[in-house]
Amino acid sequence: MMQTRRRLFTAAGAVVAAVTLAACSIQIQSAPDPSIPRDTMLVAADNGSPMFERNFNPYLANKRVASFYVYEPLVILDNVTGEEFPWLATGYELPDPSTIVFTIRDGVTWQDGEPFTTDDVVFTLELLRDNPETDTQGIWEYIESIESDDTTVTVKLQNPDVPAASLIATTLIVPEHIWKDVEDPGSFRNPDPVGTGPYQLGNFAPQQYTMDKYDGYWQADKVAAEHLILPANNTQLDVATKGYDWAYSFISDVDNVWVGAGNDNTYWFPPGGTIALFPNLTKEPFNNLDVRQGLSLALDRGAVGDAAAEGYMDEAGQTNILLPYQQDDLDPSIPNSGLIAQDTDAALAAFERAGYTLQGDRLVNAAGEQLSLTITTANGYTDWLRGVQEVQRQWGAVGIDVSVDTPQPAAYQLTLRNGEYDFAMGGTGGTGSLFRDFNSLMSTDFLKPVGEEATNNFERYDNPDAQALLDQYKVALDDDERTQIGYQLQQIMYNDLPVISLYYGGSWGLMSNAKFTGWPSAEDPYASPKTYESTPLIVLTSLEAVADD
Amino acid sequence: MTSVTVAPRGAEAKTTDAGSRRRGNAAGYVLRKIGLFVLTLWAAVTINFILPRLMPGSPADAALARLAQNGPVSEATKAAIEVQLGLPSGNLFEQYIAYLGQVVRLDFGVSYTFYPQTVAELVSTALPYTLVLVGVVTIVAFIIGTLLGVLAAWKRGTWLDTLPTLGGAFASAFPYFWTALLLLFFAGYVWRLFPTSGAYGPTATPSFTWDFFVDALYHSILPALTILITSLGGWILGMRNTMIPTLGDDYVTFAEANGLKPRVVALRYAARNAILPNLTSFGLALGGVVGGSILVEQVFGYPGVGYLLFNAVTNQDYPLMQALFLMITLSVLVANFIVDILYGVLDPRTRR
Repeated sequence: MMQTRRRLFTAAGAVVAAVTLAACSIQIQSAPDPSIPRDTMLVAADNGSPMFERNFNPYLANKRVASFYVYEPLVILDNVTGEEFPWLATGYELPDPSTIVFTIRDGVTWQDGEPFTTDDVVFTLELLRDNPETDTQGIWEYIESIESDDTTVTVKLQNPDVPAASLIATTLIVPEHIWKDVEDPGSFRNPDPVGTGPYQLGNFAPQQYTMDKYDGYWQADKVAAEHLILPANNTQLDVATKGYDWAYSFISDVDNVWVGAGNDNTYWFPPGGTIALFPNLTKEPFNNLDVRQGLSLALDRGAVGDAAAEGYMDEAGQTNILLPYQQDDLDPSIPNSGLIAQDTDAALAAFERAGYTLQGDRLVNAAGEQLSLTITTANGYTDWLRGVQEVQRQWGAVGIDVSVDTPQPAAYQLTLRNGEYDFAMGGTGGTGSLFRDFNSLMSTDFLKPVGEEATNNFERYDNPDAQALLDQYKVALDDDERTQIGYQLQQIMYNDLPVISLYYGGSWGLMSNAKFTGWPSAEDPYASPKTYESTPLIVLTSLEAVADD
Repeated sequence: MTSVTVAPRGAEAKTTDAGSRRRGNAAGYVLRKIGLFVLTLWAAVTINFILPRLMPGSPADAALARLAQNGPVSEATKAAIEVQLGLPSGNLFEQYIAYLGQVVRLDFGVSYTFYPQTVAELVSTALPYTLVLVGVVTIVAFIIGTLLGVLAAWKRGTWLDTLPTLGGAFASAFPYFWTALLLLFFAGYVWRLFPTSGAYGPTATPSFTWDFFVDALYHSILPALTILITSLGGWILGMRNTMIPTLGDDYVTFAEANGLKPRVVALRYAARNAILPNLTSFGLALGGVVGGSILVEQVFGYPGVGYLLFNAVTNQDYPLMQALFLMITLSVLVANFIVDILYGVLDPRTRR
């Protein structure tokens, strides 16, 4: 979603232009650049603001997105399905909950021809330890020590923590023979990247760069596109008109603007997370479950999702599970897959249990004070704002006085962390790891008093039962056991409402079948359609070139 | 013609007659202006330091806000980002002293948003595009607009008056970005006449070659046209409206009565005196060049200072923001200073 957001910012103009487009009923047609050959893919993945810096350091926040096509992890975790793909490791095992044994793939070479070995893995992990500013995933919070032999790397954890394995496994691996000479990995710009991935840097210019297929890639026969072109400016109109093969961008009226622009254009917008309202659980009356139930039942989530995401995203279930793609993880005993329908009478009954009654058009307590609250969302996140306004309208309809506060993104983030709000709009879940989805939402490890910055559990949910389940999950080696714990965590989410889920946040995949087919889709949801992070490696090795006719 | 002394010439003659007395006066005037300049500069530099720090949330929060949209952010991520960004240390006063030192050395450190690029790198790549695009267009718009204004006033009531005046008023009433979007949509996407984004072609590399120059020029046409269309009207109206009363002044009537060529009367007599207010606006417009192009650069994805500023502000990028605000303040101050001095030269009454 980050990519969407940045694109929304930079293409704020294009949004207005797209409205003009709809208003004028001018059908924009895609006109691909005839100089781009059939074996070359035009990708809107990287966004220069507005020019590219030649930074391919995979550990820096401002790296070029194609760094993900150069450097590979041991395992790729798909966030839509939660499925793990063995990558530079052929697999991993946990002989006990604090030991992870990765089996390293044989026959992989770096793009300069050097063999990839277990030493590279050990070197990379230690590099992150010695330069904490590069350890953005915080894997050294968990690791105690590392050992290796010719084929395996064994990671010892400080504490039993089964879910930490998938986090450590997604670290991007760099070559020891090059990076051992890097003086300061925390500010190194790595202008000529050498990785194990399917693509190497081709031509670099500040407005556009190209990636060329690495012929020695360990699954080179699966890579259909010989070249990738990544322009710096990908406004929505550019994407619609210039014959892009793959883009990650929210487009208004996608059927007309994108699909209508080219015969082969398709899209898939699977959920990438859940957008929810975070109540401040340290505050009266939001710490009252009856009030939260009333608020939850008063909502027509479908209408909120429609207002926010133009009908492209469905209402979210209250379980934190992305449906239908994570159906296997869903507790079947939860009614209606966790979807909560609007029921105003039940809502008013819940409010009444909490001492609030409807008088005229105001919901008041015994002292005659109206239930009033403020929802905080970030300035400029227009989709969230539309969703919040719909919530405001719906809660207003049951007599609640709702105001909306929209600080700048940085101030919004601070407000969320400090817990100085009534309700805050936020994203949750969608990491692909059931444990991390629940842990960040409910773990008491993150508890901080209001006024102090929390890094997670912003709503300040303090439930020892939930924490006990999370602790159990960390040591559970058995899949069935983990599934059962997952069910119980969903029950807590569903019954105790630590946050009120609204609708799914989208992954905005736009693809064209003109030159390449085999894109992930609703029918074949093998990986997220996003163009950043490691899942594109799955997509790039699954496509097939369309025969030239 | 030789036998007649007209008013403006008389004024010039007087200036040279009493040269010595007035020169002392002029030096005092310049000194006063310099003193004021330094004081304003200090105030601007200080406000520049304080304002970003009054914004709620830190640069790390801004970076985290971006990351958090992808999913939960761990404690370690926040710590790593804070180390990567090298956030300011020390209390506010120490930061202020360090900042003043930086300003003097023109060293603004590393940008948070575009880490690990330095502010100097960023500004030096962005500034030429803005200076050339907005700078040249502002000068061209001023010259064309002022001349059209003179013409309109001189040919009052004819089509040479109504057409530029009405047209200018109409075009300048459009919001900047709306004109930009219309141009972008029609000339860029529907008719496909001009490129829609960037300062040069996607595969070109900036260099001092003819090919690159042509490419860059081609890419700058739509943004340039936007600025021209929206600013021309102001210059035309401004010039026309001060020109008309001037045309009724005695010395103009006198010059006309003496049979001078209309072009000479219009330009040398009337326009020269009427141009002062427009010159002030021009100075301000020039000063605003650096910061005044945010929306246009935004719409056209033009890699100039405006776009950089937008990114800096939305990401709470103190070092970049401070450098850019300082540049904007400085250019406005310098432009004002020059206009002040020019005023003193053009109109001796100002120096008193």
